[in-house]
Amino acid sequence: MVCAVLLGAILLRLLAGDVPSAPALRTAATVFVAVCVQALPFLVLGVLLSGAIAAFASPAVLRRALPRGTGAAVPVAGAAGLVLPGCECASVPVARRLISQGVPDAAALTFMLAAPAINPVVLVATAVAFPGEPLMVLARFLGSLATACVMGWLWQWVGRAEWIADRARRGVTATDGANRWGVLAETARHDLLSAGGFLVVGALTAATLSVLVPAEWLDALAGRLLLAIVVMAALAVVLALCSEADAFVAASLSTLPLLPRLVFLVVGPAVDVKLIALQAGTFGRAFAVRFAPATFAVAVLCAVGIGSLILGVR
Amino acid sequence: MRRETQHVLLLLVGGALLRIAVDDTYLRYVRPSHRWLLVGAGVVVLGLAVVAMVSDLRGHPAGARTGRMSEPHPHGRVERYVPWLLLAPVLVIALVAPPALGADAVARAGTRNLVVQDADVFGPLAEGAPLTVAEFVQRAVRDSTGSLEGRVVTLTGFAVRDGAATGLARLTIACCAADARANRVRLLGDLGVIAPDTWLRVRGTVQSGTATAATGYVPAMTVTTVDVVAAPTDPYEY
Repeated sequence: MVCAVLLGAILLRLLAGDVPSAPALRTAATVFVAVCVQALPFLVLGVLLSGAIAAFASPAVLRRALPRGTGAAVPVAGAAGLVLPGCECASVPVARRLISQGVPDAAALTFMLAAPAINPVVLVATAVAFPGEPLMVLARFLGSLATACVMGWLWQWVGRAEWIADRARRGVTATDGANRWGVLAETARHDLLSAGGFLVVGALTAATLSVLVPAEWLDALAGRLLLAIVVMAALAVVLALCSEADAFVAASLSTLPLLPRLVFLVVGPAVDVKLIALQAGTFGRAFAVRFAPATFAVAVLCAVGIGSLILGVR
Repeated sequence: MRRETQHVLLLLVGGALLRIAVDDTYLRYVRPSHRWLLVGAGVVVLGLAVVAMVSDLRGHPAGARTGRMSEPHPHGRVERYVPWLLLAPVLVIALVAPPALGADAVARAGTRNLVVQDADVFGPLAEGAPLTVAEFVQRAVRDSTGSLEGRVVTLTGFAVRDGAATGLARLTIACCAADARANRVRLLGDLGVIAPDTWLRVRGTVQSGTATAATGYVPAMTVTTVDVVAAPTDPYEY
């Protein structure tokens, strides 16, 4: 089957001759490949960690590591996000594996939202991108941590276990000593195949939108704070930038006030088209249609609240 | 999807990652430091496929058992076919290997330069010094010491359409091509007809007072010489 697809593609290449000639298609193809190859190493890191959790971190160990009450486990899980240096793609398979190993859903989801936004690499990148605004780093850290914790508590309050697809909870049954490395490899392989496909969906969406969204949107925003916040939040979702790079894009939009740019930085790592695709694939569509809009709203509110406290309205 | 198919798919994905990292192809998509991540990821993906193939061939009990775990999930129809999508980037890389972003991406990014507020004091410049387009724009917009005034500098970038005239542009990326920002310079002088995306090395002097909010922070440069040059291996600035 793979061979058939490859043969067909090679024939197509021979018939069509050259690279697609429409400039828009070429630009979209470049962005598509860029998002894929940029994110895949981080996804690989994520599935390896996921495999390691499945093989070496038994449910009992994880239960001991977290506070007993879920309410207290949520902020601990959020703070644990400080130590996973990677983009958002890495944290989805890890969160799924935490759930299958018995970590409370709320704590695992908090970790999933916090890790890509508050890890040291992202904070340093933000500081480098905003050299004159050290408060931006603090505001981003607090805004993202608040988003992750609020979502965790919200899930604990109204979330239902059945929204998460059964397949996400299915753990690896065999952890009988000698074969742990085999479990690691097989878990990582399986997670990579399923999450990788969804990553491609996200990359395709981001590439298409990057060609379709007109740049004039941004020009119209100067001086309109509320509109700027809404548009920047929407752009964070559709552009699906890596959380280690979005600060540079935000910094370059210097005609905008800091607040909408902070919203862009807090929303992006929590919810974007690539993540929605990954989450739908990992936790099921019933999960994604509820979780993504809720995260979006919470992230915007947290960013605006914390931003106006720390940065002021400017 | 059968397990054998999954193995082939992973071999292709790992191979594609290594393929773009062995030469300069990866520079079209990501920044130079990303190369080692690509190599590492490629090796791990190949390794996962090989380990699974070996354990399948041996009829290894662990492979068979965990294999059952991964296969007969009551996946929805959509989920079952999603891994096939991993072929998409492999095919695009193998067949098209799309070029680095160029004039089309610059045109899509609007007409204004998005200048990061960096510093307002810059070091002095030697006559004819090569500058990145990003730094040239930075200095033209922000430098309060006027280090560009009357100074001949050399810029390398690609041609873009600037109304009826020709401009020079270069893209700056922070992580991958998806976050590229354009820096443009207006070229003043008799340039003749230059097709967009032609790589140019221009020497010239900034025209003072042109990089203002009114021009969208696009400085103008009076050009003395223009040379068509080969595309650099590293098409972006960082």
